Amino acid sequence: MTHPPHTRGPIRRFEEVEHTADRALRICGRDLAELFTNAALGMNSLMRSAAGGRPSVAKEIELEAIDAESLLVAWLSELAFWAETESLLFTRFEFLRISPTHLNAMVRGDRVGAFEKHVKAVTFHNLDIRSEAGGLAATVVFDV
Amino acid sequence: MAGMRGFHKIDEFLYEIPVSFREGMRVPARFYADDELVAAMTGDRSLEQLVNTATLPGVVRHVLAMPDMHQGYGFPIGGVVATALPDGVISPGGVGYDINCGVRLLASHLRVEQVAPHLDDLASALFANCPSGVGKGGQVKLKPGELDEVMEKGARWAVRRGYGTEADLERTEENGCLPGADAAQVSARARDRGKDQVGTLGAGNHFIEVDRVEHVADEVLARRIGLSPGQVVVQIHCGSRGLGHQVCTDYVNLFQKAVRKYHYELPDRELVCAPLSSPEGRDYLAAMTSAANYAFANRQVLAFHIRRSFEQVLAGKVKNFGLYQIYDIAHNMAKIETHVVDGRRRELCVHRKGATRAFGPGSEALPEVYRDIGQPVLVPGSMGTSSWVLVGTEGAMAQTFGSTCHGAGRTMSRHQAKRSVHGAALRQELEAGGIHVRAGSLGGLAEEAPAAYKDVDRVVDVVHGAGLAKRVARLTPLAVIKG
Repeated sequence: MTHPPHTRGPIRRFEEVEHTADRALRICGRDLAELFTNAALGMNSLMRSAAGGRPSVAKEIELEAIDAESLLVAWLSELAFWAETESLLFTRFEFLRISPTHLNAMVRGDRVGAFEKHVKAVTFHNLDIRSEAGGLAATVVFDV
Repeated sequence: MAGMRGFHKIDEFLYEIPVSFREGMRVPARFYADDELVAAMTGDRSLEQLVNTATLPGVVRHVLAMPDMHQGYGFPIGGVVATALPDGVISPGGVGYDINCGVRLLASHLRVEQVAPHLDDLASALFANCPSGVGKGGQVKLKPGELDEVMEKGARWAVRRGYGTEADLERTEENGCLPGADAAQVSARARDRGKDQVGTLGAGNHFIEVDRVEHVADEVLARRIGLSPGQVVVQIHCGSRGLGHQVCTDYVNLFQKAVRKYHYELPDRELVCAPLSSPEGRDYLAAMTSAANYAFANRQVLAFHIRRSFEQVLAGKVKNFGLYQIYDIAHNMAKIETHVVDGRRRELCVHRKGATRAFGPGSEALPEVYRDIGQPVLVPGSMGTSSWVLVGTEGAMAQTFGSTCHGAGRTMSRHQAKRSVHGAALRQELEAGGIHVRAGSLGGLAEEAPAAYKDVDRVVDVVHGAGLAKRVARLTPLAVIKG
């Protein structure tokens, strides 16, 4: 991963792209923190739960990985794990530290009644975080 | 590479992409299809994914794809890839996240007219007794340490707990317990996800279906297997739930480092792999085997709940409502098997991702009851259409490392299916066709609409025509239970 030219301005946070068997999202962000935030929000949109109100649960997450792509998969897998095992949907993300190989974040959210869709796994399929004019972009394929 | 060309026809139902197609291919890629299925395959990136698998270290003879192939991640769904021991690789992505996703077929002694008046109650009982849906936990509470036993003993653990019989084990691939499991290689997080999901169906494309035997294609084989026209049978389609998904997640992540260590250059990071002889390869195989055994146990407990549901609804109304097992097969697995390659018996690791083992007559891996006819192969079609029972053949042993198709195969994305199919309307349509539907989510139902899949009859025509399996009987649905 290389750093993009630092530009400002509105960019699309995430959008679904067609994938025959599963679900895929193209995610953008001006920097790693925004890319990771938008990836989490995109995954929430796949799980489609009626989350709302003031977040009542906070959790600190610390992850290490060999590169930014692995860190992104680890980040989303972490959030999917809490969704499956504790019905926790996180909607606010504060990155205390983030680099391509390490992140420390405070995440806030709520316990939800039910998810419409279950993200079984986050894949590495053709995963490559690219620098683009507006920042960073990646396409993540989810096993659902 | 949708719309990819570069392949040529080498037999009526067989196509080949030569090694000259792309740098890095170690063997040719072959796929089975007819003209219409070729068109479907070239409509997504599945052929490109198949070509990618031909670059894996230690791959032998050719990589293969079945006629239900469609785009996956890493490997295509419907792919069969064999690597040679000791130094060929094993790839977690070549098995997939739902380790030992598979199908179990139970048969009743009942005719459709005996069950028809009770079908609605039966569908409700099945939906109530077989926990389904996103992340749902089950009714089985494991004692401390018992999860290890589930992973190491598989369906045998379930039978010991009273969830089935020895006859069920005899009619399960590997008798419901693959050797070589080591629960110590399964992470705490995988255990957490799996600890309360034994005996649950989950969501996605998993289902329980009450069917009738609508057509018998081979009377002799059908009789031997225990099927006859008009008979009521039940299919279960599910796998290793969160535990298996986490095992795959853990090892795909760990193997990102392994590919650097072993200096592999791969076209897709989801193809990460390690030599079977390496510590990483051995650990993954032991963890994958543990998850596979969990899946066998899961289907065994679900079979128990199905039998209980039949008893609840039918006891006192019809006689002889018991269900006996026809077979249970895996379609996401890597297995160490011996096959003849270039006239020599070789020990291979056969990855089947969305492909079914289809051992032919005489195979020692088959139970005595099926050894002379070949292994029953269970091919579920899309919801509301039909499914097939086939048997494995010598042709499969010779051509595809004893493998055949696993289902209809998707043609439409889940996203597209949801946009073009309305769940409530689909449910009405199925019910108007006499199919009782119980579904946890209408959105999930829409994603599995028949229009999103290929025609299973066409897929089966190809494997039958190519000699990869023999048609036995066709099943059509009476009731569908989905998460």
